[in-house]
Order: sequence, then structure tokens, then C-alpha cells
Amino acid sequence: MTHTHSAVTDVLDFVTQQLPFSTLPASCAHFFVNHAKVVYITSLNQAELLSSEQKYLYLVRSGVFDLVDNSGEVVTRLGEGDYFGYPSLLTGEDIQNHLEVQTGGLIFLLPQEDFDFLRREYPAFEQHFVRAHKKRLLSSHYKERGRGWSERKISTLMCRTAVTIEPKASVVEAAKTMHKAGVSSVIITENGQLSGIVTDRDLRNRVLAAELDPHVSVTKVMTRDPKFIFENNRAFAALHLMLKHNIHHLPVLNEERMPLGMVTSTDLLRQQKHDPVQLIGQIYKANSHQEVVHLAKEIPALLRGFSNTVEDISFIGTLLSGLTDAMTSRLTELFIKQQGEPPCRFCWICFGSQAREEQTLHSDQDNGLIVSNSILPHQRAYFAKLGEFVTGHLISCGIKACPGGIMASNELCRGTVDEWLMRFDQWCHTPTPQAMLNSKIFFDRRFIFGDQFLYQALNAQLNNMQKQDIFFAAMATDISANSVPMGLFQQFKLQRDKRKHGYLDLKTRGVAIVNDLARIYALKCGVAKANTQARLEALKAFSILSKEDIYNLQDCWRFLTQLRFKIQIEDLDLPPNCINPEHLSSLERHQLKEAFHLIKQAQQACVFKFARGSL
Amino acid sequence: MRWLLPSFMRKEREPLWLESELVVVDLELTGLDPNQHEIVSVAWVEINRGQVALQSAQYRLNKGVKDLEQSPIYHGISEPEIEEKGECLVQILTALASALNTKTLVCHNAFLDWGFLQKHFIQYDISVQPKCIIDTLKLEKKRLLRAQEAVRQEQLTLPACRARYGLPTYQNHNALSDALATAELLLAQVGHLDTQKSIKLRNLV
Repeated sequence: MTHTHSAVTDVLDFVTQQLPFSTLPASCAHFFVNHAKVVYITSLNQAELLSSEQKYLYLVRSGVFDLVDNSGEVVTRLGEGDYFGYPSLLTGEDIQNHLEVQTGGLIFLLPQEDFDFLRREYPAFEQHFVRAHKKRLLSSHYKERGRGWSERKISTLMCRTAVTIEPKASVVEAAKTMHKAGVSSVIITENGQLSGIVTDRDLRNRVLAAELDPHVSVTKVMTRDPKFIFENNRAFAALHLMLKHNIHHLPVLNEERMPLGMVTSTDLLRQQKHDPVQLIGQIYKANSHQEVVHLAKEIPALLRGFSNTVEDISFIGTLLSGLTDAMTSRLTELFIKQQGEPPCRFCWICFGSQAREEQTLHSDQDNGLIVSNSILPHQRAYFAKLGEFVTGHLISCGIKACPGGIMASNELCRGTVDEWLMRFDQWCHTPTPQAMLNSKIFFDRRFIFGDQFLYQALNAQLNNMQKQDIFFAAMATDISANSVPMGLFQQFKLQRDKRKHGYLDLKTRGVAIVNDLARIYALKCGVAKANTQARLEALKAFSILSKEDIYNLQDCWRFLTQLRFKIQIEDLDLPPNCINPEHLSSLERHQLKEAFHLIKQAQQACVFKFARGSL
Repeated sequence: MRWLLPSFMRKEREPLWLESELVVVDLELTGLDPNQHEIVSVAWVEINRGQVALQSAQYRLNKGVKDLEQSPIYHGISEPEIEEKGECLVQILTALASALNTKTLVCHNAFLDWGFLQKHFIQYDISVQPKCIIDTLKLEKKRLLRAQEAVRQEQLTLPACRARYGLPTYQNHNALSDALATAELLLAQVGHLDTQKSIKLRNLV
């Protein structure tokens, strides 16, 4: 007689209903139930019961728990049927997050060795947790933040010495005190305690405008019992108070409610200086091209401090493209200021990564000028000079020259609407390899600055242009000429540099293929967007690709882009956009292989769809 | 009812909850009187250092039960099932005794279960020395009486107690389900005591 099957039916029923067990053989859930332990976690006992010596897979049976990262931010809320602890089991790294108990409850614990057993026995079990981890990484990694300014304590931002006067002082004395200290407000104290505040504005509105005798007591014009903030509060709280009550000065008090100083809205604004969105604003206001170049120098450092605070990595691409747009626009305006008004209508367009809003720190320039069809021959010189001026200064700003010469300084990248149309027409009808290369760049385009009607005219006519099957076939063939760096048996195929370092090129052999695939389908369906994610999103409305294929491509793109930014910011000793797989964790390697695998499949499907006839 | 600690125990350092080994037992009976009614099945599960080890779950049917049909509580156990899977009560109790020795016994309403067990342990001359006995029903009653004047009997049933801690509702009411349900209830009761570090077994008895 054996008693090994004394599994508690209720527990087994519960586990069997949870993913991934619901899709796996019953023996898998049986194994879980026969090896799991049950604990009841409350905020009081979690320290004792969840010690990190032994690693477990945790499955929540009841209760509510928040998973919180090192910076105190909630990664996710866990309830019945949710797992945690698997990232550490998969990567072998220490547990990064900790639990905050909202409502105590039961949790199943599966020891590491039993988790490993299930991983070995059931590939789908492993895949479930690898995917869950990938999702967690994507959603949480870019939530991590360094110390944002809004989290800083008031004591580090405020003006150090409190400028105070007694209630018996007159308005004139108050004004003199402010003038002497060079501040815009003064605190009125009674027995050392805050009793009121007078600001510049009060002197104007309540004294001068009201024609009040300035020798009256300051208590007549002060704001009694003003809003205040404690030195240990965060900057965010101060900002919130100011916005809520539309005030610009907040006295800062210590625990004993003694005034320590003043924090003003200007102090807070100064803290936001290192905000990239702010930088775009500053670029638009720059007074000289030197100033534009000077501001652009802040970008790499800024990005370094910023990369981890963006929820979605693609935002960085958008941001860099936005910065480049701002520089291009401002430089053009400065040129016009210097050289006079343009002789005819014109606009700036950009191509490639800038158009896709996927720019990185290594991206080079891809831009051009559209001018009015009515341009006269002698007027072209103006635009040649404009192209020269702007692209030249963009190089000084750190945006490299395009090796292929796709810049407005090149005559072939300036032209009237009709001239541009002729170029596109030629690429579509005589698909030479060079034409294909051009298509890749020029079919990703976006308006930057100038006369928007010119851009719209070009776009409208391009969309009407008949694109023939031979064009798509050539494009698909071109896409398939590029391959993901995977060899037989799921091994990475490494490229080698002069010093024999093996590396993988994530851009040309990964991200670029996804971009190419999104482009060809978008062109086929007439999706007028340049951004790869936006294109894929829009393609969901068409039947050309299945939803699952689209989700896979989006996931791959995000994962590769994220890896790519990570290495750029870490500044490893490798060519741009390249990665040494040995520097990755085993999980990242695993995910990278899966991403490459999915891309390869999508590539093959694309060739099948478009190039069947010609191959 | 008094469950006295064996005298030699008192000299030792007081055992802490988190260092203790406990066995949670539940019986299915044909009635409430140990002298008249029979044990239908015995189930137990162990708690070590605050963790219920599902692996230790045991569920045993008594082959010798005579009066199954007259049981006032329907257990969902059929005679053929007992025929097929059942074993002698003496075997079952010997296994339980070896699991239980030197450990702490936990029951929901220990008066009933321990009464039956004791009777049969004596009958089969099985020596068993549980360290002490914890009754989750009494624990809950004590806790409720601290907050309110009187406690009604229906507030102390196993499902009612579990509901108070937000524990899941169990569908199956066999001895094994109830043993685990009792074990989880004890964890929850302990989890909600104020002082965690130094909870001693004595606080629970």
C-alpha cells in the first residue's frame, strides 16, 4: 500500500487551474503539490518566514502583496494565482525586490531544486517563467529611477538662512530687510514661531497699489498663518502645495516649527534644469548656433541620467529625435535671421532612424529639403547654403554626417516636390540594390520644419503611386539577404573585430530586420507612419499579419532596443550597437536567442509572401 | 481540560514556535462518543518551522469500521473504497504515533479527536508522547473573547474560523482537507499574534 497520493484535492485543484500547470500534464501539478510548502505571511512574520537563504518559487493562494523594488516603487501587485521569486531562480542572482504585505495570506513555496526539476522536465514550464520574467523586465526596468529631483528633501533645496522680522516692524522696515538680504520675501515671527509672510507681490498689491502708508505695521499687509513646509518633506510636496494654492514662496520649518528658510518656485524650477524636455525648450530659444551646439553637448550625460527613468525605452528614441528636430529647426531660424528670408517655400524632412523616432546616440544624419515647384534656378543657391549651414552645425552638435551622403548639404537631397517624386518613382520601378537601399531610408520619412503643405503634397502623390509586385518582391529579397546571427543548433554566430573579440551586431542583424519587415508590410497596406512600433500597431487592423506575429515582432523590437541602449550607456569596449553575449546573463542570452529565432521566422514568412514568384 | 507538559520539559529552554515541529491531525468519525463510535479515517500533515510540508500529508482509511452507514455525518466514503484502500486501525495509529512522538499535536476541537485517539492508543497499547497539544478552536475562542463578550458555537467551526482570516473555502470535507485547513488556520492565527520573534509554543497551548 502506498500513500504517496495523499495530495490534498483542494490544493491540487487550485494548482491545476493556474498557468502554466493548466496547460501541462497532470503529473506536473502533482509534483508541485507533493513538493510545496505552505506558509501564512503577514507583515509581522514575513522577515522570519521569507528569509532569502533558500530560494523558492512563490505562488500566492490568498491575500494581497505588493512587490516593491529597491527604490521603493511598486513593481506589481500580487494576488491569488500570482507567482514571484522566479527571476532570482532563473538568473541565479540575488532577489532584487521585496514584499509588502497588504493583506496577509497563504503562499505556496516550491524549493529551487524542485523548480529546476520542473524546468528540465517540462519545457513549457520553463518557457512560461522565462516569458513572465521578460515581461517583468520590460515593464519594470525602465521604471527604475535614480534620484529624481522631486524626491529630494526640501532641506537640500531651500535658501539656508531665514530672513525674519518682528511683528512690530513697519512695512518700510520689511522692504529694507528684503532689499538688504536680496530676497523676494520675508518671514514675520512671533516668539520664534512663524506668524506671517510678506512677499514682493504683497508690497506691490497691498501697499503701493492700495496707496497704503508704508509706515504701518507689517502685520497689516502680511499673509497670516501662511502655508509652510517641513525641512524633511520632499520637493514634490512643495511643488504640489505651490501649484494647488498658486503661491511662489513657502517658509520651511523644522520639527519644532521654527522657520529655517524659504523655498521658492524658482528654487524648484532650477532643479528641473536637467530635464531633457526642458532642454528641447532651451534649444528652441537659443540665440546663436554656438548656443545650440553648447546645449547639445549636454545630451549624452543627460541621457545617462535619464535612461533608467523612462518607462518605455522607445521614448528615448522619440526624445533624441525630438532634440534633433529642435536643433534643425532652431538652426534654420538662425540661418534665416542671418541670411534673410528664403526666396520660396521650403521644408525640412528627415529619413531613417530620425523619422522612425528611433534615434540613438550613434545615429547619423538623414535629412533633406523640399522646395516649392516654382523655384527659380538662381534661388537654389540659398538652399544649398542653408543645407550646408544646418548639417554642418548638426555635426558639431554630435550628430554625425551620413556616410551615404543623405543630408541636405547634398544636392541629391534637395529638390522640388516633383523632383523628389521622380526619385521615388525610379526606385520603385527599377529595383536595383542601390534603389532598395534608398527605399529603406527614404520610405521612412517625417516632416520637421517649414512649409508643411510641401510635405503633404509629396506624401499624397507618393501614396497614389502604383507600387508594383516587383518592387515588393525585390524588397523582400533584400530583407532576406540579411540574416540573424544564429547558426545551427541555436548557437550565436559571432563577428570578430581586430582584437578577436566576438560580438553580435544588434542593430543591423536584429533591429534593422524588424524595421524592414514593418516597413514592407506598412507600404503594402498603405500605413502612413514611420515609427516601427506605430506601424506594427497600425498593422493590427489589417489581415496581412496575424496578431501573434505582430506581438512577437513588437516584443523582439523592444527587447533588442532595450539591450542596445543598455550597452550604449554602459559604453563597453565594442563597436557601436554590438554586444558580447558573454556579458549577458544566461537569461538574457536565452531571450536573445528566442528573439532572433522569431525574427528569422517572420523574415521567411515575408519572403514567402512577397518574393515567391521571383525566387 | 488540561494538557500538562511532561515535567522534564519544564527545565528546558522554552520551545519557540518557529523552531517547533507539529503534527496536525483530523479524524472522520461515525459519532461523537469515543466509547460508542468509530474512527473512519485519520489524516495528518506536518508543520515544520512555520511551514506546512504538503509532502507529509497522510490520509488513511480504517478497514475495520463496522458502522459506516449509521454515521450521522456523511463523509463521502463508500464501503468498496474502504475495502480497497483501507488498512487496520492499529497500523494507522502506529504510523500516526511515530509521526507524533516528541512533536506537538494540533487539532481543531482537540477534545473530540484526542479523546478518540487516546482511547484507541490505550486499547492497542501504543505509547505516544506528544510534546503538547494545540487546539485551534480554543485559540480562536480565546482571541474572540478578548474582543467580545460571548462566542457562539457556530462562530468556531473550522470554515467560520478560516473565513475570518480570509483563507480559501475548501470544497472537499474529508479528513485530509480538514487537517490542512486546520494547519493553515493555525499559521494564520500565529501570523496575527502581535509579537513574532519570540512566540513560544506555550503561548499557543
